[in-house]
Amino acid sequence: MPPVLEISNYTLDYASPRGDARALDAIDLAIGRGEALGLVGESGSGKTSLAWAIMRYLPGNAREPGGSIKLSGEELTTKTPAEIAALRGRRIGMVFQDPGTSLNPTLPLGEQLAEVLVRHRALTRRQAWAEGEAMFARVGLKQPAQMMRRYPHEASGGEKQRVVIATAFACNPECILFDEPTTALDVITARQILDLFAELQAETSVASLYISHDLALVAQVAHRVAVIHRGRIVEQRTAAGIFTNPRNDYTKRLIAAVPDPGRRLSGAAPIPSGVPLVEARAVSVHYGRTSRLATFFGRARERVVGNRAVSLSVDPGEILGIVGESGSGKSTLAKALTGLNPFTGEIRFDGRRIGGIADMDKAYRRNVQIVFQHPDASLNPRQRIAEILSRPLALYGGQDGPRDMAVARLLEQVHLPADYARRYPHELSGGEKQRVAIARAFASKPRLVICDEITSALDVSVQASVVELLLDLQRRHGTAYLFITHDINLVRQIAHRIAVMYRGDLVELLDIEQLEAGPRHRYTRALIEAVPRPVGGTTNITIGRHSPGPIPGGFDK
Amino acid sequence: MIELIRRLLRTPQGALGLSIVALVLVLILVGPLAAPHDPDTMAPLVRYKGPSPAYWLGTDQYGRDILSRLLYGARATVVMAFLATALGSIVGAVVGTLSAFLGGRADEAIMRTVDAVMSIPSLLFALLIANLLGKSSVDAVMAIGIAFAPGMARITRSVALTVRKQDYVHAAIARGEGGAYIVLREMLPNVVAPIIVEATLRIAFAVMLFATLSFLGLGAQPPASEWGLMVAEARRFMHLSPWMILWPSLAIALVAIGFNLLGDGLRDALNPRT
Repeated sequence: MPPVLEISNYTLDYASPRGDARALDAIDLAIGRGEALGLVGESGSGKTSLAWAIMRYLPGNAREPGGSIKLSGEELTTKTPAEIAALRGRRIGMVFQDPGTSLNPTLPLGEQLAEVLVRHRALTRRQAWAEGEAMFARVGLKQPAQMMRRYPHEASGGEKQRVVIATAFACNPECILFDEPTTALDVITARQILDLFAELQAETSVASLYISHDLALVAQVAHRVAVIHRGRIVEQRTAAGIFTNPRNDYTKRLIAAVPDPGRRLSGAAPIPSGVPLVEARAVSVHYGRTSRLATFFGRARERVVGNRAVSLSVDPGEILGIVGESGSGKSTLAKALTGLNPFTGEIRFDGRRIGGIADMDKAYRRNVQIVFQHPDASLNPRQRIAEILSRPLALYGGQDGPRDMAVARLLEQVHLPADYARRYPHELSGGEKQRVAIARAFASKPRLVICDEITSALDVSVQASVVELLLDLQRRHGTAYLFITHDINLVRQIAHRIAVMYRGDLVELLDIEQLEAGPRHRYTRALIEAVPRPVGGTTNITIGRHSPGPIPGGFDK
Repeated sequence: MIELIRRLLRTPQGALGLSIVALVLVLILVGPLAAPHDPDTMAPLVRYKGPSPAYWLGTDQYGRDILSRLLYGARATVVMAFLATALGSIVGAVVGTLSAFLGGRADEAIMRTVDAVMSIPSLLFALLIANLLGKSSVDAVMAIGIAFAPGMARITRSVALTVRKQDYVHAAIARGEGGAYIVLREMLPNVVAPIIVEATLRIAFAVMLFATLSFLGLGAQPPASEWGLMVAEARRFMHLSPWMILWPSLAIALVAIGFNLLGDGLRDALNPRT
């Protein structure tokens, strides 16, 4: 039987004023019926370009020097736009990364599903609506009839992604492309979507191309894994084989960079000195303000809770990890500690009481620094690196020798060449930019650095080197970290203690040893179980009950 | 910069606008040197003449050469319009960025004041200010600058609001930077692109507004060769020589169109997605 999707020797270029840039280079892929192929690559590797090439939706400057894409033996590259339009949605479906943007906010969810059915299966609207309800039930949406009439903003992220998946499966297509379908979702929701994917995949025997940057996750959902690097497929193996026996150097590097919770990277916890460095006592943050007019008319709204009486402390030299899903109040707490959010309650720094933003003087700000998630956003694009780095020196003083020498030393500290000082941020790669942001935080020799999801915007291999740098700086300066992340595997590698947050509350605060022994709180347990673990490391894969085909249920290296 | 000009030349409106503006700039720089006659020399024998080899564009009611007057007047008209726009843009940009930075009640107060000022038509507002300040070119520049500031403030604020949410502004606040540094060094450089586009479009308005003020007798005063003033004076003699009103009007229109096209081109060139 011929494969459902067969790509052979496919090459794609993007024309630009500076010559053609090769996006895909001689791609060979084949996906059979009922098979799930995982495509793993870092950002810019060409994985999304490949998805769009299969969907025949390429930008105007795309050039295809050669190769073929066949769907059940039919050549797609030579089809007319009208033929492709009839094909899309009916024979090839696609699930996008962010359900928040792939659904039309002005149409009810049911309408968007029914439209596909009316168009491709020639049902009447009444039939399509009934069929839509059945589809919603099948993808595990509770109350499908009500859900059909709801608008996207009335559904949660997980529910919306289920709707997108229902739409993709609606016409029983031969092939479905999944482009990072869980990346925009919280870990627990992502786990449920993955289970749904496996279930539908087995049930409908559709050929799936599952695109992701997360090797551990792909190894769990796919039968075979293809690793793509700079537009080339460097290795194609069974999901089990890729972790235990990688052949390609790039694949090996990629696997080595995946955080493995079984391998500790940081040293032992510091011996508590009695006085914590920073202590938050019942810190609460509320968002939104009520206007006096609204209060006067008695229409004061309930304010949104960012943090509800969070109390925790960080010892000198300690790494405290804060985990939780989006909206759990992790970043809100970081902003309260750095004076970006007004808060109630009190913060104690080195025993000194800080009751509000007004109490945060120069000494406090100097000692508590923050590094943000996106280096693109946290470095001013119009300032040179030298200006960015010399600003804290000018504000807090404390450097000896001329300013440019101090900047060069800061750059050297984060393993960047000194002549980067003359560059603008856009001339640096993502990882280098994040190093500059770290150098800026360390310029004032702080005692606490708050890292707010600083690795989540980076590729896995870059992420590993940034974490290494952080730990190196910590050993040298004895700085304490408040390490905020949603990557539980990573935090288990480096944190001494872990605080778990859920909907603005601190639900559990535990030592790393306690976590490994088994957390007490139900939510913490759910969070840890939801995360896919790397295969072949010191920990075993935990396969869900709907795991697809030929992966053996747990094995040792 | 070179890259920007190349992008600008790729669109027809950008290329045309850039060449017209370049031509006007050349006229401003070398115009008085190239003028065939003295702009203020009167010649009673050659009044109301049409175009001829001696007087390419003809003469006015005192027998002064219109071409020479236009070449001299380019400085007064275009440079003044440019200054007025620059003044309005800078004041508006700082106010708008400050408003976005402060947020909350201060933002409300500033923006509602701006709205109130904007509800007065800019010509009426400029007339009012010119009346209060006096009748001279400098006063007209002030008047137009102040009349432009509220619109600029609104546009700048809308861009600055997105900049305000960027982490580099948060980082500066967390570092304990002062408000002036954040507004001027962190935020303002990042809202410059849309301001430049808007400013080029406004120069065209300023040229016309300035001409209008002079026309109404509140800007440049005779015997200055400002273009609006030339139109105003020529109006009375239109039946004697239509050329007198035609040439300065055409000059104003050309500059206005040139800057308008340049603004359109810049908007496309500065937007990286096109």
